[in-house]
Amino acid sequence: MIKVTNLRKQFNDLVVLDGIDIEVAQGEVVAIIGPSGSGKSTLLRCLNLLESPDAGRIEIGQATLDAPKYSRKQAHHLRQQTAMVFQNYNLFKNRTALQNVTESLIITKKMKQSEADKIGRALLEQVGLAHKADSYPITLSGGQQQRVAIARALAVDPHAILLDEPTSALDPELVAEVLQVIKAIAEKRTTMLIVTHEMAFARQVADRIIFMADGKIVEQGTPDELFDRPQNPRTQRFLQQISAPASFIS
Amino acid sequence: MNFDGKYMLEVFPTLLKYLPLTLVMAVVAMIFAIAIGLLLALVTKNRVPVLYQLANVYISFFRATPTLVQLFLIYYGLPQLFPSFSAMNALTAAIIGLSIKNSAYLAEIFRAALDSVDNGQLEACLAVGMTKAQAYRRIILPQAARNAIPASGNTFIGLVKETSLAFTLGVAELFAQGKMMASASLKFFEIYLAVAIVYWALTIVYSLLQEWLEKRLSKPYKN
Ligand SMILES: Nc1ncnc2c1ncn2[C@@H]1O[C@H](COP(=O)(O)OP(=O)(O)O)[C@@H](O)[C@H]1O
Ligand SMILES: [Mg+2]
Repeated sequence: MIKVTNLRKQFNDLVVLDGIDIEVAQGEVVAIIGPSGSGKSTLLRCLNLLESPDAGRIEIGQATLDAPKYSRKQAHHLRQQTAMVFQNYNLFKNRTALQNVTESLIITKKMKQSEADKIGRALLEQVGLAHKADSYPITLSGGQQQRVAIARALAVDPHAILLDEPTSALDPELVAEVLQVIKAIAEKRTTMLIVTHEMAFARQVADRIIFMADGKIVEQGTPDELFDRPQNPRTQRFLQQISAPASFIS
Repeated sequence: MNFDGKYMLEVFPTLLKYLPLTLVMAVVAMIFAIAIGLLLALVTKNRVPVLYQLANVYISFFRATPTLVQLFLIYYGLPQLFPSFSAMNALTAAIIGLSIKNSAYLAEIFRAALDSVDNGQLEACLAVGMTKAQAYRRIILPQAARNAIPASGNTFIGLVKETSLAFTLGVAELFAQGKMMASASLKFFEIYLAVAIVYWALTIVYSLLQEWLEKRLSKPYKN
């Protein structure tokens, strides 16, 4: 379960998150869409404190935290409730695919190597990369790296996985394999918050779509509601723009 | 031309007896320099208040002043302020001086190496629940180490050569011995050439070692 209340963040004078309230139920998959610069990444990054929020309350799983004052221990506890998949994968460059997945098990969960390897191999199998266990990230394609990153996130066994544009850095022909893996995880009712520009994908996997603009949640609803019957003019305009690449031609 | 090749060959065994001392000075000073340099780099990289300013002054001072002046300052100067330092022997003073000077250089090298590790690596560590200390130890420092090795190696080669300055404090090391033998035999060219060849050989052996280490460490990054 995720509950965010009145989350605020600004960079210098720029208000990036302007009072965000979100609730995500256990097992729910929520897609966040919105124009570039609307604060989507910052929102996810506040949830695991890669950015420190200026105000608001964050509750995830066992952890509750009130910004802006919190201890290092509270921060660490909150972070342990989630895992993140980054746009540019951020795999540990000095670790093999398998070690990328097992690192957190061995270091933070103090698991025995053999036990961690077993879990790691099962997760690589799940993302279709069992045969790449001993490869270093640099030898993998973008799609493969992102699938390892997803396995690494799953290894944490988090309350929720935060995915920030997981396919945006990929060559078009590699997008499908990653979306496929995410879809399979969604079907297992893993709580997920996905920032994405892949509207067809969002529609398929998400239980709910949130449309953000200018640091606010403008509108949210089921995929059918939001994509077929958007109520807010901002949402309507955004959906029109992304479905009309004609401006490209003219 | 007056060059006694046979004599030159004969002095090598005597000179080589002093090689261990040179190596000890260089290696011990390098170990301290690495430890201090890493600390300084972490302080400056993370902009730890107060320590950060102090570290910058330290780095600036010891990079900008001649090694010889620093050695004299430590060996002859410090006992004047703190009498307990007069118990310090010349070898200790030389090692301290060389450690400090090279730590200032290594601090800059290490900080650049840390900067060259993409911040996404730290974020990925934190995101899977590691602490910052765990992130540095397991992921960031190993990657930075690889970036730091070529420049650190140059610093070490410089340090090996700088150990010859210890003779000015009265340490009976390789160069001091050469100087003594030269004044006795008056065969300056032969002796100093022999001394130079010993340093040269040392550097060549070290370079081979470093090449091997670089190869090992860069394995994960080769396509
Ligand atoms: N670390 C930062 N420092 C200053 N400004 C930032 C920083 N991170 C993001 N921003 C700004 O905050 C706004 C929202 O960014 P972001 O959350 O990345 O938006 P989105 O992911 O929706 O594209 C942008 O205007 C961006 O330039
Ligand atoms: Mg973004």
